[in-house]
Amino acid sequence: MAETIIAFDRVSKVYQSAAGPVTALQDVTLSVAPGEFISLIGPSGCGKSTLMRLIGDLEQPTSGTVRVREKTPEQARKDRDYGIVFQAPVLYDWRTVRKNVELPLEIMGVAPQERRERAAALLRRVGLGDFGEAYPYQLSGGMQQRVSIARALSFNPAIILMDEPFGALDEITRERMQDELLGIWGGAEQRTTVIFVTHSIPEAVFLSDRVVVMSPRPGRIKRTVTVDLPRPRTFETRESPRFFELVTEVRESLREG
Amino acid sequence: MADDAALPTESHTSPLGGPRTQPVILRALRRILPPLCVVAALLAIWEGSKLALAIPDQKLPHIAAVVEVLFSRSRGGSGPLLLTQMLLNAWATFRVALGGFALGGVLGFGLAALFARSRLLERGLMPYVIGSQTVPILAIAPMVVVGLGRLDAPDWAAKMVVAAYLTFFPVTIGTLRGLRAVPPAALDLMRSYAARERDIFLKLRLPVALPYLFTSLKVAATASVIGAIVAELPAGAREGVGVMILNAAQFYNSRPPALYAAILAAGLVGVAFYGLVALAERMLVRAPRSNDG
Repeated sequence: MAETIIAFDRVSKVYQSAAGPVTALQDVTLSVAPGEFISLIGPSGCGKSTLMRLIGDLEQPTSGTVRVREKTPEQARKDRDYGIVFQAPVLYDWRTVRKNVELPLEIMGVAPQERRERAAALLRRVGLGDFGEAYPYQLSGGMQQRVSIARALSFNPAIILMDEPFGALDEITRERMQDELLGIWGGAEQRTTVIFVTHSIPEAVFLSDRVVVMSPRPGRIKRTVTVDLPRPRTFETRESPRFFELVTEVRESLREG
Repeated sequence: MADDAALPTESHTSPLGGPRTQPVILRALRRILPPLCVVAALLAIWEGSKLALAIPDQKLPHIAAVVEVLFSRSRGGSGPLLLTQMLLNAWATFRVALGGFALGGVLGFGLAALFARSRLLERGLMPYVIGSQTVPILAIAPMVVVGLGRLDAPDWAAKMVVAAYLTFFPVTIGTLRGLRAVPPAALDLMRSYAARERDIFLKLRLPVALPYLFTSLKVAATASVIGAIVAELPAGAREGVGVMILNAAQFYNSRPPALYAAILAAGLVGVAFYGLVALAERMLVRAPRSNDG
């Protein structure tokens, strides 16, 4: 691999629980190229969320090293290198939609005028141009998640971490959100690196350049499936034979002992 | 409280269906009618039980007698109306309670903010905070009044301290609970922005704590009125509902309705105070209609 933005080298993570130590991740080695869209997939307890949180310095490894843009994850976090989207939108319900998108910019000391402009542009990009002054409770779940994505993009982070962002949405909304996400991601001049945690096999295949298949107890990487579907990916992509082949490949990787 | 100034207080209008619009008079009626009905029912029970159980005027005067006393003049007809006196006394108590409320509110909030930052401080100080509230206020009030009196502090200062004493505790407990009610994901988000503690407090913890804070302020509002009245009981106080209650109790045999008038004044101050806090809440806190943090 030519360039590396995220590098895991024999990383393990052990939690201390009441029932004794639990190995959430064992001996994970992985490298991600800049601009890559990577999905982490696997059953509950396979450590995919832990892996994502290690990148974001929300947790620290027990052994091994994680490097993000040739820095420690902590330094990368302090340099505001990543934006995060959770399964729940985690909007601040006392703030308007616009003020939610502006939140990271406020904290990072961006001037009010520029904050406003960037928030307005982003809300247009996620199709919520008219909802800036609305409050989160007035939006549907899908719309709230779009606000959450706009907020993560607002400060142009080098890496976007997404933890099952569409997991709570219905199937129809979910597919539309996938299309929109690829539209936003693929439309940028310089593609952001995305780490996308999911339970859904078609979602992982449709979105990603590579699908990292994980298995539980202890959490580890089983296989990496490279998705060679052409971009931009469209409705036709979902119907193509190659798409189904890859879905089958991922499914079988998940089932292998 | 000064800290509230830093809070987002966006306008309540929104493009997507704001508050339901109803004629103002109808809304006011819907609000006023239920408590009026309760008053009517209470008066009916008062007079009804007096009639049914043949309670003498000495034990329970007629309502009309209470009203009559309110419109009678003191000092054999040359003084002001008792109603005026009552309102003046109520106003005096209200001012003391307000001062104590502000003092206790700031103290209570400060303690909660400290405890939210440091478990060690909480473990060390909380037992004393709780202990302070189990000592009867009737025992504390004279000590404070006499103690501060020796220091030549003004009369109202001691009363405010007693009112503050009853105020800070609910504020500390409620605010602490609120400051800790932040969803972990909302904190992770702040962490991912490498936010400073100050920003996390002002932009996340405080807004989350605000509804809790106001719930405890409502409890504190009525408690501070009690504190103010109790502080007016020790000898030496010249005005206030507490003085009224003392005087009325002293002359209860000759004029029972006066005590009822004094109790009415106490209730009036409490309701007015509570209403003020509720109003502030409506202006500062958005209706809690979220489905996530």
